Amino acid sequence: MSMRTVVIASRTGLHARPAALFVKAASEQGVPVRIRVGEGKAVPAASMLAVLSLGAGHGTEVTLEADGPGADDALDALAALLARDLDAEETSDA
Amino acid sequence: MPELLDRRAVRLDAAATGRDDAIRQCGEALVVAGAVEPSYVDTMLERERSVSTYVGEGVAIPHGTLNGKDSVRHDAVSFVRFPDGVAWGDERVVLCIGIAARGDGHVRLLSELAQILLDPDRARALRETDDIDEVVRLLQPAGEEEPA
Repeated sequence: MSMRTVVIASRTGLHARPAALFVKAASEQGVPVRIRVGEGKAVPAASMLAVLSLGAGHGTEVTLEADGPGADDALDALAALLARDLDAEETSDA
Repeated sequence: MPELLDRRAVRLDAAATGRDDAIRQCGEALVVAGAVEPSYVDTMLERERSVSTYVGEGVAIPHGTLNGKDSVRHDAVSFVRFPDGVAWGDERVVLCIGIAARGDGHVRLLSELAQILLDPDRARALRETDDIDEVVRLLQPAGEEEPA
């Protein structure tokens, strides 16, 4: 199994826009990706409710997991996304 | 400290003309419960235009933008059910849970709510019950102990 550990960069945490972008990207990968906080239960990264249930705030370290062909590419793409401050890319009037 | 879900913020049989109307009703329920200033409702609409708060399973969780934080008096949720459904982009929403949180409270609040909605028994009860007190009980977050 491939794994990546990454710290949530978005300043309001993994919810709303950052979570929507992440869940969408996860669902577009060719392999199922799971996400967990610490040694907690890994949940489907393509499920908004599951991702919200993690309660991952700014600075929370999360681990992404996937198996099979393409797993490493998928995890690299998703880890890079979480390492960006996706809130900062929100429209300035929001 | 006020309850997270005030009975006054629960509507079991609402109808809405569309997404924005549904969000307004969710926001007004928070206003009625004394959790937010009326201006918070506009930031909920603003948030929804920036990103959908649809979370799957016919549920949306509208909440304000960062700018709306100042109009939040205390952390709270509202619960508005639309038995006939509301068109929400390409989705259909039957349950709207409005959220208001100060500071970083939203991450924990969303997490608690998501865990409740992921539990099939509690999720079904929230969709089906006719008892407002049961809704209040079901949305009572676990482990609401005094902060250390």
